[in-house]
Amino acid sequence: MNGVRVGNRMIGTQSPVTVGWENIPRVQGGPFKQFFFTWFQPTVLFGLIAFWYYAPNSIAKASTAIGIGIGFRVLLLIMEWAFPRHESWNLTWKELVTDLFYVGLGYTILRMVDGYIGDGPIIEGIQNYFHSEKFTWFTGMPLLVQAFMISFIFDFGQYWMHRGMHNWYPLWLPHSVHHYITQLNINKGAVGNPVELFLIGLGVGGFFDFLPRAALLAGAIGLAVGSYQHINVRFNSPRWWRFLFNTTEHHSVHHSQDFEATRSNYSNTYIFIDRMFGTCIDGEAELLGMEGGRRMSIREQMTYPFTEGWKTLRERYGRTASATATAVPAE
Amino acid sequence: MSGSASTMRYDAGQATPAKRGPINLRLIDWIWHVRGSLPLPSGQTADEAFEKLRPVFFQPGTAHEQAQDMLVFSKKDPAAQDKMSIFDGGVLRVDHSPQGPVLRYHLISRALLFCFLAPLLFLAFAQLTITVGKFEKPAAEAKDEGKKAKKDTAIQLNPIDKALGAPEPEKPKKDADKGKDKKHSPTAAYVFAAMFAALYVVGRVLEDRLVKALFRKRLRGVQA
Repeated sequence: MNGVRVGNRMIGTQSPVTVGWENIPRVQGGPFKQFFFTWFQPTVLFGLIAFWYYAPNSIAKASTAIGIGIGFRVLLLIMEWAFPRHESWNLTWKELVTDLFYVGLGYTILRMVDGYIGDGPIIEGIQNYFHSEKFTWFTGMPLLVQAFMISFIFDFGQYWMHRGMHNWYPLWLPHSVHHYITQLNINKGAVGNPVELFLIGLGVGGFFDFLPRAALLAGAIGLAVGSYQHINVRFNSPRWWRFLFNTTEHHSVHHSQDFEATRSNYSNTYIFIDRMFGTCIDGEAELLGMEGGRRMSIREQMTYPFTEGWKTLRERYGRTASATATAVPAE
Repeated sequence: MSGSASTMRYDAGQATPAKRGPINLRLIDWIWHVRGSLPLPSGQTADEAFEKLRPVFFQPGTAHEQAQDMLVFSKKDPAAQDKMSIFDGGVLRVDHSPQGPVLRYHLISRALLFCFLAPLLFLAFAQLTITVGKFEKPAAEAKDEGKKAKKDTAIQLNPIDKALGAPEPEKPKKDADKGKDKKHSPTAAYVFAAMFAALYVVGRVLEDRLVKALFRKRLRGVQA
């Protein structure tokens, strides 16, 4: 495989990756279908922003956000079923059960653990240690600026955590499990070793105070943009959307079986962060995963970082130990 | 891909399964065992039937072995789109009944067993959440008392948002959420327990039908 040069990297030498927006297929069909799949994403984004901006206080609550989030995900699941991007990514019963298991872990045990050792308690501990309060200057800003800042600060942190995971072996071990997924579906973002799910959820937003409505707006932006990272639906995303936001196309490149391609598109919501740091590759891939597309079982997903880490330690230090042993002359 | 696949124990077609241990496993093993039968198309021999079925087992991570009227297979890390990915192994056998030859199959699925047991796991999470909440309650109440004075400051909306008509933020409610411990709510765990119970029922019926339809199509020579 020849691959395509992007900057000083060769992309697609190990597995097929389409590079360049002009080479990516568009939604086929009549004018209504084309219109729907071009404007669905912006309409939902601006609709949600308008809703959370103007909703009365009695409605603008976390419970409403949870309801909208569940409803939106059900809608996207129906769209995946009705308009699959790739037949090879179709959601099967087993895939759905696996994905929902991880979603369930996130809403239950991981949330509880996060309440004790996550970023919230850590930040509270730091503030208590320094006898400091949250930075309140945030709350005086316009709501949309606050919302953008909340999501940008979190995404900026995620970018570096994610990039660190791809560049430092101890962090790669827990993250590697997520790269064994072989297809993108709406709940695949939740699939991964619990250690990684904990790490990727860490943020520094807790240092700042902000209006509750701004947090709801930030959540809506995350929902209306981040949800499309893992989805088996093709959209004709407008040019400005693809420039600013992470898309299925970007994230499929990140999950491709081509090693160089995986070292790109690290951000969660704002792909312009990748553009800022030179890690963005505009393109798409269908063949995803590791080890030629081997699907990992849940049992292995739970143990893999530890067994692999142990294996590596034994290889590294076991060899030294045995070499030292053989160097000692026998009497 | 073919190879050693005969290490698992099956009883395809057995009318009276042997009792193993103090309880008859057959009474509960329907949870993760799928059994069924299909009459072969008229004139089709066992060899011809297995020849038609064999492509189903040419999948990554699948090993199969055929001996006379029986085919045994096992799977390790099957691909997501493998039509039999929920099964870890099984046996297919052609029996000769008075009505003609019949394909009987017995398939084992750890995925079904996992989904059947998942509600118990989430119920355990719910119980754990409640228990931890009980231990945490006195400490949390003491903490809230300390914080009370700080929360009373009124929050101002930015003039731009005022001009655009965004609702004014509410003043922090005193004692409004008192008694509600959202951090230790077991609701999510109950919802997921119910969800997996429903998914199990759907999967047990759906996958049974899908695999039967797959075998039927292959035996008739239809590409599935």
